[in-house]
Amino acid sequence: MVIHVAVLLGLPFLLTGIINRVKAIWGGRKGPRLSQGCFDVLRLLRKQPVYSSVTTPVFKLAPWVILASTLVTGLFVPLLRDTAPLSMNWDVVAVLYLWGLGRVAMMLAALDTGSAFEGMGASREATFGALVEPAIFLAVGALLATSGHTRLAELVHVGVMAPGRVLAAVGALVALALALLVEASRVPVDDPNTHLELTMIHEVMILDHSGPDLAALQVASAMKMTLFAMLIAGILNPLPASVGPLAVAAVNVALTLVIAIAVGLVESLIARLRMVSVPQLIAASMVAATIAVLGTAWFAGGAR
Amino acid sequence: MSFIAIAAACLAVGAALSLVLPNNRSRAAASIASQLIAMVLVERVALPALLHGLDLRAVMPWSYPSENIAAHLDSLGAFFLAWSLPMTALGTIYAVDYLRPYEATRNAGVQYALLNVTALSFLMIYTLETATAFLLGWEIAAVAAWLLVIWDYRNQRIRFAGFNYLVSTHVGFFFLVAAFMVLHSRTGSMDFGAFGSALRTPGTLRNATFLLLVTSFGLKSAFFPFHTWLPRAHSAAPAHVSALMSGVIHKAGLFGLLRFTLLLGEPEPWMGWYLISFSALSAVMGVLYTTAQRDLKRMLGYSSTENVGIAGIGFGLGYLGLAWHQPALVVLGFTGGILHILNHAVFKCLLFYAAGAVYRATHTIDLERLGGLAKRMPWTAGLFLLGGLAISALPPFNGFVSEFLIYAGLLNGAVPPGLERALLISLAAGLAFVGGISALATVRAFGVTFLGTPKDASVHVSGDAPASMRLSMLVHGGGVLALGLAPAFAIRLVEQPVREFAALLRGPSVAATPPVEVIQPVVWAGALLIGAVALLLAVRWMLTRSAPVRQHVTWGCGYAAPSPRMQYTGASFSSRFVAVFESVLIYLERKKLPEGPFPEANSHVNKHCVDAVERRMFEVLGEGESVANRLYERVSVAPTYSLGLGLAVLVVVISLVATAGGIP
Repeated sequence: MVIHVAVLLGLPFLLTGIINRVKAIWGGRKGPRLSQGCFDVLRLLRKQPVYSSVTTPVFKLAPWVILASTLVTGLFVPLLRDTAPLSMNWDVVAVLYLWGLGRVAMMLAALDTGSAFEGMGASREATFGALVEPAIFLAVGALLATSGHTRLAELVHVGVMAPGRVLAAVGALVALALALLVEASRVPVDDPNTHLELTMIHEVMILDHSGPDLAALQVASAMKMTLFAMLIAGILNPLPASVGPLAVAAVNVALTLVIAIAVGLVESLIARLRMVSVPQLIAASMVAATIAVLGTAWFAGGAR
Repeated sequence: MSFIAIAAACLAVGAALSLVLPNNRSRAAASIASQLIAMVLVERVALPALLHGLDLRAVMPWSYPSENIAAHLDSLGAFFLAWSLPMTALGTIYAVDYLRPYEATRNAGVQYALLNVTALSFLMIYTLETATAFLLGWEIAAVAAWLLVIWDYRNQRIRFAGFNYLVSTHVGFFFLVAAFMVLHSRTGSMDFGAFGSALRTPGTLRNATFLLLVTSFGLKSAFFPFHTWLPRAHSAAPAHVSALMSGVIHKAGLFGLLRFTLLLGEPEPWMGWYLISFSALSAVMGVLYTTAQRDLKRMLGYSSTENVGIAGIGFGLGYLGLAWHQPALVVLGFTGGILHILNHAVFKCLLFYAAGAVYRATHTIDLERLGGLAKRMPWTAGLFLLGGLAISALPPFNGFVSEFLIYAGLLNGAVPPGLERALLISLAAGLAFVGGISALATVRAFGVTFLGTPKDASVHVSGDAPASMRLSMLVHGGGVLALGLAPAFAIRLVEQPVREFAALLRGPSVAATPPVEVIQPVVWAGALLIGAVALLLAVRWMLTRSAPVRQHVTWGCGYAAPSPRMQYTGASFSSRFVAVFESVLIYLERKKLPEGPFPEANSHVNKHCVDAVERRMFEVLGEGESVANRLYERVSVAPTYSLGLGLAVLVVVISLVATAGGIP
């Protein structure tokens, strides 16, 4: 439990650090320290926020609702082994809808500034969010259906299941990997490094946030990506539970770091998609997830 | 039962008084007082029936057209009665201040009388078990709602909306009469009990009656292809009427569906699939239309189609559970579905009341013109946000509780593995899609109306909602919180009605987990979320308390001459999303573009999302021949069309051959 919370709070900084370092090395630069994100947040926490005179309390409240909802979902997602501090039947629904709450708070804060740019970001976030949510549901649903489980935490063992379920697992993994890029606002969907381009989503919505509010938003965003990555790592993890919790946890963390490196490589190698093509990327994720679901039906049908 | 009869008499007296009393104040007082008395009387019977599952019956002798009229109050009827009357009374209270601007010139007594009559019709629909009397109540509700809608009858558009509603509701009525006639011819009786025994015999007649009934109730509750009247009527009616129609009066359709499900006994699997696909289609189409409306109340109207769809998915799941002998699915499906009816009534009324407050303050509900209302109308803004979050099914509000139960059923291990499970998982993903879009619609409606700065200087805001309107909104807001934060209490309310459905299961079945245990993640997530927000806000306060709050203008990214017109409007917010679904969301565009190097005449672009079903219907009615000609020309020219047509013909031929038993 304590380790879980420590990982939940610590790993996001490491993850963004790794991604940035990979991008820097690929670009021929030395790159920032791995812990740079941590110092950035500490620096922001010491600053005083500035508020736009247009805004209402919605704007002040939103970053903290977003951070709180991400923290709570962090308690449902299995980070290290096949348990989470809070694991209950159908917790996956609660997790996805809590992310939805964070998303809504984010968009409302953006619209609250009355800025044309932030409205644009909110509009894009709303569109892509609505499209990617069913893909995640299909993917997780397929995994739950193959394993006959109902909890997120039990997905960790899906990686070691019978070969007949490989189709479902692979489809779901592809779908989740694409969904990670969309949800974490990464290239090729969004560029986390630009602040004034017409092609961005997440960064444009936080233009007017400052001080601790901005820190909360950045922590929440990094944390959400970490949760996604650790979920994928848990599914990829080949070790059975009998090896012992410590080994499983170590492999999970290692796989997460590998995913971070992969994300960094994707960011270095691929250009950002044109905004109209993003729905196609999400459609690809949806197709992969649909294949996964059909795979469950196929193998269950064969087994009967 | 005698309490209900006295309540009915009291409502009738109240209606008569509101027609004959001299001024609008006393008419309102008479209506509200009679409704409150009736409410207390009804709750005295309904609450025990709901919480302890009583089954009350009474028979009134009646000479014509049937020998007697049977009244029957079980927990299902009691559930609907328990909130319908209080909500109607709240709507009447809301109407007092809403109708105040008309006080000097109009006789509001008719409105109050009709609200009383609506409450009276609920008493009839939810308790009477003789077909003729039931239909009478059904018609009284329809006609009263029609007269309520056309309050502003001088406006041609509103009269059209009213007639549209009247026609649609009567088409539904014909289907209901047809179903009753079939049943009457089978049983020779007009009693629901006798209908039940006929409905339980499998066969073509049972299937046909089921389809007739679902169509009729679908029209009443505005399921997808039958929904076209609803956005029109809702945007035309006064806010309290829209709220009551959408939240309370339409629920009679779902009540009918549930009542006849009880009579139907154990359904066949195809009925469950039919109901599920019908409802899923309604949910998806309804929610797609919410993203493109520029009229706030029209948007809320479409979201009713979405929400009855979600409740219908729950019922369909319950049907499948009954057919497959899986009590877990029966309990989760019906609990989720029935609870969603109540949740929808609570938050939809709240949203309509808030939209009415906006209309009363600004005299417009056009999303393209509003903006920045949160600072002028903080109460309305806060309550609208509460309702909006609830309607998007976000935790920890009440919409989430019922949707969670439906999800728990769709992703349940009790679903047979294979194709069934794959289909229901896809349906869960569809529900997630609906949730995502409805979050978009909420953000759009709330953000564009209440946040930012005012976009149109010609819109004057007269102030926040007056007392009686605020009271109704606060009560509904309290309901949203109570049902969302104490889901165990919410489930307690529907426990007895669900037990009636679970009793339909025949044969051996395994015990199901009580829904209260299923809901645990919701309770935990809600409690933790509130705790975490409070903790983080305390941290933030510690960090920032030392310095004064600094304010500055919104950063314009270096642009020096910003104007409020540059903000994102409703249309621009959803344009990217709508572009993905342009085949379903049809836009009518009227434009006059600027001409010449120095345009002098005013130019404009006017886009309006119209209903595809209605549009196609008018197209076929008005220019069917030319549409057919155009299609025919396309088929002969474009290869894709001819290929598609060829394939369709092939499929039809093959299926005809296959159903005929193969080639001899």
